[in-house]
Amino acid sequence: MTVYESDLPGVGKKHEIELDDGSRLVVVTHHAGKREVYRRPSEDADSEKLFELSDKLARQVGTILEGAYFQPVKTDRIETLLAGNVVIEWIDVAPESPLVGVTLAGANIRQKYGISIIAIQRGDETIPSPAADTSIESGDTLVVLGQKDACRSFVGHVTGNED
Amino acid sequence: MAAGLSQIGLLFFGVAVAGVIAARIGLSVIPVYVVIGIVLGPNVAGAFDLLYVESGELTTVLGELGIILLLFFLGLEFSIDRLLSTRQRITSAGVIDIVINLPVGIVLGLVLGWSLVESLLLGGIVYISSSAIITKSLIDLGWIANPESEPILGILVFEDLVIAVYLAIVASLVAGGSGLQETATNVGVAMGFLLVLVVAVYYGEQWFERLLDVDGGELFVLRVLGIAVPVAALALALGVSEAVAAFFVGMGFSSTDHKERIEDLLTPVRDVFAAVFFVWIGLGTDPAVVLDVIGLLAIAVVLTAPAKVVSGYYGARQFGLDERRSFRTGVTMVTRGEFSLIIAATAAAGTTEVMTQVIPAFAVGYVLVMSVLGSVLMQYADQLEAVILRRGSTS
Repeated sequence: MTVYESDLPGVGKKHEIELDDGSRLVVVTHHAGKREVYRRPSEDADSEKLFELSDKLARQVGTILEGAYFQPVKTDRIETLLAGNVVIEWIDVAPESPLVGVTLAGANIRQKYGISIIAIQRGDETIPSPAADTSIESGDTLVVLGQKDACRSFVGHVTGNED
Repeated sequence: MAAGLSQIGLLFFGVAVAGVIAARIGLSVIPVYVVIGIVLGPNVAGAFDLLYVESGELTTVLGELGIILLLFFLGLEFSIDRLLSTRQRITSAGVIDIVINLPVGIVLGLVLGWSLVESLLLGGIVYISSSAIITKSLIDLGWIANPESEPILGILVFEDLVIAVYLAIVASLVAGGSGLQETATNVGVAMGFLLVLVVAVYYGEQWFERLLDVDGGELFVLRVLGIAVPVAALALALGVSEAVAAFFVGMGFSSTDHKERIEDLLTPVRDVFAAVFFVWIGLGTDPAVVLDVIGLLAIAVVLTAPAKVVSGYYGARQFGLDERRSFRTGVTMVTRGEFSLIIAATAAAGTTEVMTQVIPAFAVGYVLVMSVLGSVLMQYADQLEAVILRRGSTS
C-alpha cells in the first residue's frame, strides 16, 4: 500500500491511498479541519465524493477505523455506548483477579458471558484482536465489546466481586 | 454622520443580498458583489434619484482595507518552501503561464497606442487568474481530489508571487510622474522599503512569533490588524503599494505557530472587507463607460481566454497529466477575478484618462465576463475537450 501526500496551496493537504483493487481513496484535509473523502476508481476516472466530516468527527471515526483506543484510562471503567445497548468497556485487571494467568480460551469468556475481548492494552502497547492463546496478565486493560448487562457481569468476574 | 451610516447600511445590505443571489444562481460571489456595487452606486441608483452609496472617501478606505487583507492572507498562505519543493514543475508551468498571457495584454495595449505603463497594466489584468474563484470551483466540482488540482494550484502560487513583485513595480510606475528620474526615484524607494520588509520577514520570525503570543481572540485579532494596517499605510505614504506591504507582513506570520489561528480568527474579517472592496469597485464603475470599451473587451476575451487554455494545458503537461486533465487545467485558469480588480484599483491612482477611466471600466467588464465564462467552461470541460482535442489529434 502506498500513500501519496501533496499540498493543496490555499486549501490544505491531500492524501491518496492505493487500494487493493487499483482504485484510490483520496482524503482532502482542509485548513479549517474539514475532511472530504473521495474514491477514484481508476487513474483516468474522476474522483467521486463519498462523504465529508468535521474535524472532530473525523478524529472519532479515525480511532474506530484504527481499531485501537488510546484514551487514557483514568477511572476504572470507561464506557462507550454504541447503538442497540452495546458498549465498549475498558476493564483493568488487578493482581488479585481470578483471570490473571488464564488464557482467553481457558477463560471461555465468549461462551460464558457473551462478550468479546477486542483488544488488550499492556503497558505501552496494545494487542489488537488477541488470539485465543493470549494469557491475561496483572495490570492489563481489557477492551471488551458486548451487551451492557453482559459487560457488567463480566466486570464483576474480573474484579472478583461476582454477585 | 447619519448620511454616512445610512450609506454603509445600504452597502452591507447590498452585500448580503449579493451573497443570497450568488448562492441561488450558483455563481461566485465576486462578480455579483461588483454588479451590486454598480447598481447601488451613483451611476445607476444615483441616476434614478434613489438612495445610493457614494464612491467617496469612506468607501474607499474600507475598500483599501479589503485589498490589504486579501494580500495579507495571500502572504500568509504563501510558503517559499512549498514553492521550492516542487520547484521545477511549478516553475516551468508558471513560466509558460506568464510568457504566454502577460505579453498578450501588453501587445494589445501597445497596438491600441497606449503607453508602456498602461499596456503593462492591461497585461497584468489579463494575466492573473483568480485564486479565490478557482479554488472554490475546484472544491465545488470535486476536482480538488483529482490530479489536475496540483498544476492548477501550483500555477496560482506562482502567479501570487509574480503579482507581489508586479504590483510593487507597477504601483511606483503609476505614481511615477513625468520625468524619468522621478520614476527611477519612486521605484528605488519602493524597492528599498520592500527590501526592509523582506529582511524583517526573513530575520524576524522570533519577533513575529512573540508579537502574537497573547491569549484571547480579541487582543489577537487587534494585534494582527494593528501591525498589518499601519505597515500598509506607511507603505502607501511612501508611494509603495500597500497591497504588497501587506503581502510581506502576511508572509512574516506564515512561518510562525500563529498561522492557523490567524486564519481561523481573521478570515471573517477579511471576507467582510473583501466584499466591501468588490462593491466599492462596482460603485466607481459607470456602466456607460464599460459599454464604451465593449469592443476592446470583446477582443481581449477572444484573445486571452484561449491563451489561458493553451498555457494551462502545457503547464499541466509539465506535471505529466493526460490530455483531458491538461485541458481541464487550461479552462480552469480562464477565470479572472480579485487580482485583476486590484490592478485596476492601482491603475485608477494614475494620471492619464486611460488609467483612471478606461482600464478600471475594462477590468470590471473583463472580470464579469471571465468569471462567468470560466465557471461555464469548467462545467462543460469534458464536452469541449471531446470537440477540440479529438479534432486536433486527428489532424
